[in-house]
Amino acid sequence: MRMLAWVLACALPLAAADNSLLIRGATVHTVSGADIAGGSVLVVDGKIAEVGAKVAAPKGVRIVEAKGLHVYPGLIDSGTQMGLAEVGSVRETSDVSEIGDFNPQLRAIIAINPASEHIPVARANGITTVVSTPSGGVLSGQAALVHLDGWTWEEMEIRRSAAMVLHFPVIETGGGRRSSESQRSATFPEAKRIYDKKLADLRGFFESARRYRQAKLATPAGFRTDVKFEAMIPVLEGKLPVAIVAVRERAIREALQFAEKEKIRMILAEPREAGKLASEIKARNVPVILGPTLTAPLNEDDPYDAAYTLPAELDRAGVKFALGTFSNSFSRNLPYNAAQAVAYGLPREAGLKAITLNAAEIWGVDELYGSIDKGKWADLMVTDGDPLEVRTQVKQVFIHGREISLDNKHLRLYQQHNKRP
Amino acid sequence: MKHAMLLLSLVLPAAGADPPPLAIRNARVVTVSGPVLKKATVVVKDGLIAAVGENIDVPKDAWVIEGEGLTVYPGLIDALSNWGIPEAAALAPAPAASGRTSTTPRPAPSATPDPSAPPPAQGPEDRPSNTSWQRAADLVKPTDRRLEAARSAGFTTAVTFPMTGIFAGQGAVINLAGEKAQQMVVASPVGQYLAFPAGSGFGGGGGFPGSLMGVFAYIRQLNIDADYYRQARLEYEKRPAGARRPDYDRASEGWLESPRILLPATRAMEIDRVLRLAAEVKKLAVVYGAHEGYKAADLLKKAGAPVLMSLKWPEKARDADPDQPESLRTLELRDKAPSTPAALAKAGVKFAFYTDKIDRPRDALRAVRRAIDAGLSVDDAVRALTLAAAEIYGVAGQIGSIEAGKIANLLVTSGDLFQEKTQVKFVLIDGVKFEPAPETPPAEEVAR
Amino acid sequence: MKTGLILSLALAAAAFAAPPVVIQNAKVLTVTKGTFQGSVLIQDGKIVEAGEKVMVPPGARIIDAAGQYLMPGIIDAHTHIASESTNEGSISVSSMARIEDAINPEDISIYRALAGGVTTAHVLHGSANSIGGTTVVLKMRWTRDAAGLVFEGARPGLKFALGENPKRSGSGASPSRTTPRYPATRMGIEDVIRQAFVEAKQYQQAWGDYQAKVKSGVQATPPRRDLKLEPIVEVLEGKRMTHVHAYRADEILMMLRLAEELGFKIHSLEHGLEGYKVAKEIVAHGAGVSTFSDWWAYKMEAIDAIPYNAALMMRKGVLVSLNSDDLNANLSTRLNTEAAKTMKYGGLNETEALALITINPARQLEIDKRVGSIEPGKDADLVIYDKHPLSSFARVQKVFIDGEMYFDRDRDVSGRAEREVRKKALTDRQKEREKEQKKSFPTRRPS
Repeated sequence: MRMLAWVLACALPLAAADNSLLIRGATVHTVSGADIAGGSVLVVDGKIAEVGAKVAAPKGVRIVEAKGLHVYPGLIDSGTQMGLAEVGSVRETSDVSEIGDFNPQLRAIIAINPASEHIPVARANGITTVVSTPSGGVLSGQAALVHLDGWTWEEMEIRRSAAMVLHFPVIETGGGRRSSESQRSATFPEAKRIYDKKLADLRGFFESARRYRQAKLATPAGFRTDVKFEAMIPVLEGKLPVAIVAVRERAIREALQFAEKEKIRMILAEPREAGKLASEIKARNVPVILGPTLTAPLNEDDPYDAAYTLPAELDRAGVKFALGTFSNSFSRNLPYNAAQAVAYGLPREAGLKAITLNAAEIWGVDELYGSIDKGKWADLMVTDGDPLEVRTQVKQVFIHGREISLDNKHLRLYQQHNKRP
Repeated sequence: MKHAMLLLSLVLPAAGADPPPLAIRNARVVTVSGPVLKKATVVVKDGLIAAVGENIDVPKDAWVIEGEGLTVYPGLIDALSNWGIPEAAALAPAPAASGRTSTTPRPAPSATPDPSAPPPAQGPEDRPSNTSWQRAADLVKPTDRRLEAARSAGFTTAVTFPMTGIFAGQGAVINLAGEKAQQMVVASPVGQYLAFPAGSGFGGGGGFPGSLMGVFAYIRQLNIDADYYRQARLEYEKRPAGARRPDYDRASEGWLESPRILLPATRAMEIDRVLRLAAEVKKLAVVYGAHEGYKAADLLKKAGAPVLMSLKWPEKARDADPDQPESLRTLELRDKAPSTPAALAKAGVKFAFYTDKIDRPRDALRAVRRAIDAGLSVDDAVRALTLAAAEIYGVAGQIGSIEAGKIANLLVTSGDLFQEKTQVKFVLIDGVKFEPAPETPPAEEVAR
Repeated sequence: MKTGLILSLALAAAAFAAPPVVIQNAKVLTVTKGTFQGSVLIQDGKIVEAGEKVMVPPGARIIDAAGQYLMPGIIDAHTHIASESTNEGSISVSSMARIEDAINPEDISIYRALAGGVTTAHVLHGSANSIGGTTVVLKMRWTRDAAGLVFEGARPGLKFALGENPKRSGSGASPSRTTPRYPATRMGIEDVIRQAFVEAKQYQQAWGDYQAKVKSGVQATPPRRDLKLEPIVEVLEGKRMTHVHAYRADEILMMLRLAEELGFKIHSLEHGLEGYKVAKEIVAHGAGVSTFSDWWAYKMEAIDAIPYNAALMMRKGVLVSLNSDDLNANLSTRLNTEAAKTMKYGGLNETEALALITINPARQLEIDKRVGSIEPGKDADLVIYDKHPLSSFARVQKVFIDGEMYFDRDRDVSGRAEREVRKKALTDRQKEREKEQKKSFPTRRPS
């Protein structure tokens, strides 16, 4: 393991020699507790060994003088297409949406391209971890939790199967402002028929999956494996949460009822109208992944700040939530989504947690990630100020204690063309 | 030729004897042009109103209808219609998005382009979606099966237009009956019907115009071209020798022949928009639709533009998604649209009602009642169904009120026009009597 | 005696006009004349005075902005809000189309942009074709009608588009198209534009000849007016500005050279995501660039877009602005933080960053005599923030246009309950009507 780390370290030109270091003199924002002014973080073999006001430097360890700077946990983007899509308008570069409505067996992890340009761009702003999610049909496949560092997806992997992704059926009448003629808007009865069928199919699929599992447990002779239903077993056993995407009130309500009926662990994703159902969500203890706050309201009559105030609304209701950009190119703007929520009423600590510790908790990896605490992996960033402020520069990023290069295509093009005579 | 021709419809005597005069005696007569006569007689002869008054002599050979308990109105006029054009009955009306009432049949986008189809229009010069020369007067037939229902509801007249395309063609005031098509026409041409089809690609296969901006540019350019065309033709005719002859352009001819243009507008800002366009092209404009007219009454008054008021009050579609969020704007429009006629009346804007492809013509009066409930006076309501329409189209000397000399288009009812229980007894069209057809119950009516 | 009479008449006249307004105790960011703690006096829609201490006329309305920040109203140089129609994309040259015809004064995006501090917005035709329609500059005077939104006296513009958008819109693969529309390549786009200008020059010539004949008393027939060619002639005559949607360095260069060859000026390159690669050539031509802060990789022509673009071009002398390109108000609700990104990516200072959304777009649109900074004589288009506008936590509190307060966050927030009540009342009445309908028409075929 150490040999591998050393080889890797040599191959990365700007990386530190190893994964042990001491960052000292900075304001340490642990997130789990109070900030430590003039504090230090000791990293040994990639893990946080010590956090405090005065930490002794072990012999020979690299020292990072960070006076006047700040240390934060690396940021976690809880919903992205990172590595799964490169250029939006070019379909060949996208692996986000597969054909077919029920594909629980698909795994995003193996389709993540570790050479995606979006990765270095995002991590240059302190994003160390993302959830990459598939998006097609109803049961889209399994989202992956990955580091933004690694030669292969295997090396990037934190959880190869972080959640099953379910896009809850909606009644789609289409149309809307300036929809093109080709998108013929369906009438409500037509759309409802399609929706009813999809919902029935979804229920039927779960039913069949349960029967499959039952049959498998009984292990009859000649049992035939079904790859799709195999993938459903951890869901049915409550081992794998289902991230259900439900945007509008009706879909959210139905999704909550569905999860209860099917007895599955649920995470609610992109619920833009969650505000109206906050107490319901809290009562069922369902965690939430909110989409971008930096967006326009959903309805014409919504207050102009509807998207900005939603996180605060959920926070007041006691709902646990994390933020996701649901993008790849805009993952680097994750902290500014948190900032907007804070500007419009979310307590700052909650804003920070939404992109660090809460995210780790929702994805079930908080024992090892999400805050600067002894025993956790050293996913850290050093900044010259508040990372929620746009103007702040990220000076250094560490993943598992190794310093990660902040070089990326944008920086390279900038430097290159700056030099043009 | 280019100037408008008014055609008077003549009731030609059938082979045989002249029909005798008809008198409706001692009825309540709502003349519209004058005060209501509580007990009066109307005499009809040779298809015209011969006399009307409280103390008039009934001719000895007159066929008398006792009018005790009956009310006589001028025959109702549907101020914007396609009644009488049988082909129009077949086309389903386009959903009224925002005053865009075109019945352009949309070509289904095909995978491979049809080689025989004309190439998509490249600009106004290709005159896409333009049949401005077409006259409703040439298209009407007394056999249109909708006419019976219209007459049964009390309508004697409609201002009928072709309605396909952007420059759909020229309308005619027609009576809703006649032995021959030509006999139906009261006046033609009376105006050019314009529509702004919603969505893109209505130029045919993605041709010009593909947007509201394109349509407006098209109207402006055609207006310029038509003027230029007229000048060029005049000059050429004066001195053809050695000069290059101007192209034949019937689209321009149709535009020049039109004494007024009908422009669609539902919302106040659309009304504002079309009024400014009309001022630019210096054409007399009539605004049709006008559901949000309550917000634009002063604007319309200042522009001097008359209004054709759609009776299809905006409501939520029956099969709409119950959970679909509706904007305050939409809710307000639906709530206040029926108050538009009262607002227009108060501001002194001339307006007439039209049924706007309502399913059953007799529902039109129920729709008018909503306007009355919202503040329109009964007198103004009756006027908007009769004389106002005639005035807007310049035929007030012939129809629209009960006065001696006018065409005998009359509606006789069992009581006040806007009472629920009032029934149509009969209508006279050009002096010919039509009784309402027996009620056919609607197909899927369920017991309440 | 006479001066006294005149003075009292003037005061009397002033009393009939709207009262003056003084915004007090703010941190005033003028953008062009430094930053200070002070006040601004507004009268008759104009900034009269701005300084550490200003005269407070009798009857003035005082707005206390203690602890708050005052900056010029934001100018969004490229947007598609407030328009019912964006593209006349059926043909490659649609210069007869006018965005002004399609203005939708009731677009909620106007209000939302206003809530984001935008006071002036340049609304353009879309990028579906090589030469689009004419553009219009609006002020976000929410509740005024279409004519009331127009920025009086702003020089009209014409939209051009290069690259992928016009190509994609014209291709046979587009759903609304049954036959492909020329051009399908960047080569063809140059051709379309050149041909249009050649045609326009001939048109210009024909009219020139006609007018000469008339002047010398010769009988002549005027040429037919062509609304497509007239805006292009106006470009040639310098009466109409040009705004060219362009991404790639090669097409930017092509357009500059084409304009130079045909004898007209490119006023601004819209988006210009690769502008940093040809900054030198852009400066030499005298074009400005209006771009995004950090959008990239959504199209092939955007794969080399970098967030350092604005700063890099600025350092090389290009007049740069940031825009929203919104269809529905989104970026236009936060152009302040978009500007802040240029401090992070490229190291612009506060004033330079703020200039990108104020004086720079004003200069690009040639409305800088009226707006874009806090200087006496300019329009009182101002925004009050509760924190420094370049902070991620800043919120717009009040927005003034022509000295009138068009947005007040407090009033917006307190008005929400009443709106809900009104909406509920209308919904209830609608339900009543539906019930009545069902009674009179038990079952009908769906319409």
